[in-house]
Amino acid sequence: MTPAAWELRAVTVQAGHRCLLDILHLRAEVSSVVALMGPNGAGKTTLLRACLGLATPTRGDITVLGETLRTLGGPALARLRRRIGYVPQLLPARSELPLTVREVVAVGRTARAGLFRRLSRQDWQIVDQWLDRLDLVALANRAFSQVSGGEQRKTIIARAMAQDPELLLLDEPTANLDLGWRERIVETIETLHAQTRISVLLVCHELEVLPPACRHVILIESGRVSATGSPEAVFTAERVRRLYGAALRTVHQEGRHAVVPGGASHA
Amino acid sequence: MLDLVFWAPVMAGGALAGASSGVLGTFILGMRIPFLGICVAHAALAGAVFGGLCGLEGHQLLWPALAGAMLTALALGLVNPQRAHLDDNTVLSFLFSATMGLAFLGIGLYGILGKSDNDVRSLLWGSLNFCRWSDVRLMLGAFAALAAYVVVFFKELRAILFSRADAEAAGIRATAVWTGFLILTAATLTVNFQTVGGLMIYSLICNPAAAAFQLARGCRRVLMLSAAFGAVSGLGGFLIAAFTDLPSGAVIVLLSSALVGLAALIRRLMRHSP
Repeated sequence: MTPAAWELRAVTVQAGHRCLLDILHLRAEVSSVVALMGPNGAGKTTLLRACLGLATPTRGDITVLGETLRTLGGPALARLRRRIGYVPQLLPARSELPLTVREVVAVGRTARAGLFRRLSRQDWQIVDQWLDRLDLVALANRAFSQVSGGEQRKTIIARAMAQDPELLLLDEPTANLDLGWRERIVETIETLHAQTRISVLLVCHELEVLPPACRHVILIESGRVSATGSPEAVFTAERVRRLYGAALRTVHQEGRHAVVPGGASHA
Repeated sequence: MLDLVFWAPVMAGGALAGASSGVLGTFILGMRIPFLGICVAHAALAGAVFGGLCGLEGHQLLWPALAGAMLTALALGLVNPQRAHLDDNTVLSFLFSATMGLAFLGIGLYGILGKSDNDVRSLLWGSLNFCRWSDVRLMLGAFAALAAYVVVFFKELRAILFSRADAEAAGIRATAVWTGFLILTAATLTVNFQTVGGLMIYSLICNPAAAAFQLARGCRRVLMLSAAFGAVSGLGGFLIAAFTDLPSGAVIVLLSSALVGLAALIRRLMRHSP
């Protein structure tokens, strides 16, 4: 059996008496790109946060990069988190934020460098490398709060990648972006995976956000897995109609997927 | 003419209070918790009030004041906003209410017990003109400790300033570093209260940092500029007050406010320049 990037066994996450997540078994192989999809409030972000140890299961085991979270103390959990790049759904949007784009990307090297050490020349080279790879060099010295939403997203992806992670968790990386920026972010994820073979767990709402490298979709509804498989197998016309209650059809073409109004699905 | 021998500690105290508040303000305003200064002031007051009720007086009141302020900072640092589902400002409001209630309860007890509360009241209002070299030494010690902490944990504080939750998720020991910073903040502010008072500290935390945010980019530059603006407010305000015979506290606050307006104007002009 190939090693798992992450695995959940009989996991339940609760908030008071409300069950947020109830997963029997889920597993993703190393170097895979997996998408987590489902309606609002289905438990997608909770699953992502549980993988980071930010949401604690009431029962069950979560294993990430070979470490079982339940057995880890604070320092060991912090060490594991350094191996995981996380792009959150909500970005800090304070106008008082004095950090430049380059400084935000450098946050990715902070934990790696360790306490009581300054960032080394090599750390800054890695920061500059990711600025370059994500086409952010021209913005490096601009204030993070003053660049566009798409540029902020790319900066946060660069920050996560500067961490040199083995697993990348992306929580709706194209939220609030226009079509052009959405495509650029999808291309970025595809290129990053092709270049680094990093394991990716992507939370999204739209089929259009799935990069061609994503061959495994997990559909979550009310905290439970309702379907898993390839995007074509999971997003059939019947399921899309049931999920969204409208006359919609799915189009699958050259590794990309889309939902359009009317009729049956097309391959 | 100013009697420099007499006024030198006052000028040094004003500049130090301004500089240290400027450093603190970069993080406090950047994290959008400016109310922290007032909250810590009341926590220190509550500590001093109960210290006074226990028989301490004069400079001895500094220790219970420090204890009150540091305990409040510890509580604020250890509350994880995400786990508690509470915003930092909501936690601050609760702590402020609790410490203010305790302080006024204690002051009420002074009346019932027939004791004078002048010593503890002066902590809240401060008295820059009575600052002596012994006060300056204390302020210098607190400033040195704060500066050393910021230098050693600069990259972690920068990450926390961006987002405490994201810093935690990236494997940075954010809670430990932030709590340490808040405890040092409480210590620095309490030491400064004796000289400039809790209410003036609020202006010196907010205004120099707000002016620096207008003019500089990058955490290090903002930090330096904010410290410089703070020192200019403290020292410049005192000098203007001395030469015009106006109340020094009011002039310091107004000068720091004027710096924000000036910085906003400069920024606007820079934006429109070709």
